[in-house]
Amino acid sequence: MPMKKFLNEPANLTKELLEGFALCYKGRVKIVSDKIVVRATPKDEGKVAIVTLGGAGHEPALSGFVGEGMLDASVVGDIFAAPGAPKVLEALRMFKREAGILLVTLNHAGDRMSASKALRDAQKEGIKVVEIVTHEDISAGIDIDPEEKRGLAGCVPLYKVVGAAAEAGKSLEEIVDIGERFNRQMATLAVAMTGCTHPQNGGTIAVLPDDEMEIGMGQHGEAGGGRSKILTADETAARMIEPLVQATGVQAGDTALLIINGVGATTLMEMFLIYRKAAQILADKGVNVTSGACGEYLTVQEMAGFQMILCKLDADHLELLKAKARSPYWTA
Amino acid sequence: MLTLQTFKAMVAAAGDDIRAGEKLFSELDAAAGGDGDHGTAIVTAFNAMAKADGADFKGYLKALSDALQAEACGSTSTLYGAWLQGLGEAAPEGAAALDAAALAAAFKGGLDEIGFTTRARVGDKTLMDALIPATEALCAAQGEGVAAMLDAAAAAAAAGSEATAGMRAKFGRAKNLGDRSIGPRDAGSASMACIFAAFARAAVE
Repeated sequence: MPMKKFLNEPANLTKELLEGFALCYKGRVKIVSDKIVVRATPKDEGKVAIVTLGGAGHEPALSGFVGEGMLDASVVGDIFAAPGAPKVLEALRMFKREAGILLVTLNHAGDRMSASKALRDAQKEGIKVVEIVTHEDISAGIDIDPEEKRGLAGCVPLYKVVGAAAEAGKSLEEIVDIGERFNRQMATLAVAMTGCTHPQNGGTIAVLPDDEMEIGMGQHGEAGGGRSKILTADETAARMIEPLVQATGVQAGDTALLIINGVGATTLMEMFLIYRKAAQILADKGVNVTSGACGEYLTVQEMAGFQMILCKLDADHLELLKAKARSPYWTA
Repeated sequence: MLTLQTFKAMVAAAGDDIRAGEKLFSELDAAAGGDGDHGTAIVTAFNAMAKADGADFKGYLKALSDALQAEACGSTSTLYGAWLQGLGEAAPEGAAALDAAALAAAFKGGLDEIGFTTRARVGDKTLMDALIPATEALCAAQGEGVAAMLDAAAAAAAAGSEATAGMRAKFGRAKNLGDRSIGPRDAGSASMACIFAAFARAAVE
């Protein structure tokens, strides 16, 4: 597939996209030390700081969620590549405080390694920091070892919940409890229709035949059914929501949050069709579906497809989701 | 005793052998389902390390760790950064020579530190398949002197790396290949074995 993208020098891509992002949202975010995105107006030092890390090329993730009520900092790597441990440590030093820091890491090998090293170095220096690892992707199986599950766009509502708790002045221990409960009760399933190109080298990532789609990861695809001919929106939604219900344990009387995250080329029109059917199925089961979200939060270039995220909510999660948030790509 | 001067020569020798094996390491990486860039990554790391210096073991090892983390990218940077940092932290304060016990303690410190950064252990088809047995053999040979310790480590690293050929990858991109990752040796274990072989050779030169 030939690459058609508006680009400059590939080596400068991450730097330039971050500059554009900061110019666009000036007064809300700024870049410090090349690859660390922080709030333009820092949060009160007496409150717990929320820091995350990850590669670029997934815009608006992750830096799009830096802002009041959400993240304090996002440490950016390069396109599809984790930042190095020294950069993560630099951010942790920047936010060192008595209240402590919550580091949110998505479960991907490179991110985990950098985070683990930075976390250990920070703790040796006496920085109070606790890590939450998100691993909510059920495509390789619902009951498998959480270490084998990837972290997908479920990090976004988790940022919202822990960010609001930090803003409310809760302690690091309380925020970890809130975040880990949220983490355990959410699940994500992805579907792809087309692959995409790596913006720095034009290489093709994940190829699918023209008339096929793929739920889950492909190799096993236990939770999603794997490859099939393209289904209707209703059929796709139904096939995806059932394993998510099973994974989260959501049942009649529970309150749940449903999010459809477009990964690049799938239209908002299609996302609404998917949301409609999935929400109807949940309602038929007696689940109280709170106000949700459809949009592009964590993308994979021009890949067509989406991630469906289901979160079973406790009462405090529901309140925290409603609290004020003013990040560039998530407001409440 | 292992002097700092000899250790610097060992690092230089490892750098030479790593550069000579660059193509092989990349080919092994690609063959087992990785990104095919391990040769580039490990050569970048050793080129960065060549610029580091220090007046004692602690300072030199910290300089090696900092230099490679500043220039090398990806898992090689993080893992070798942790290993060298752990070696340095476990080395005695101000030492310009290590006896057998101090050398064993340093290598044990290096292994402990890298163990905090990766969950990979023996059998997972990573550089740990060479590093863990090498460190254990080095510590076990403590009574026989520095040269024998490094020889034992080199032999154990080579055997550990050979054994990865029959393993299924459990980490990194190669994991996605499942059973198809069986056959070639793990590239990270091969470069680690190459380093221990160079260490043993240069220690007695």
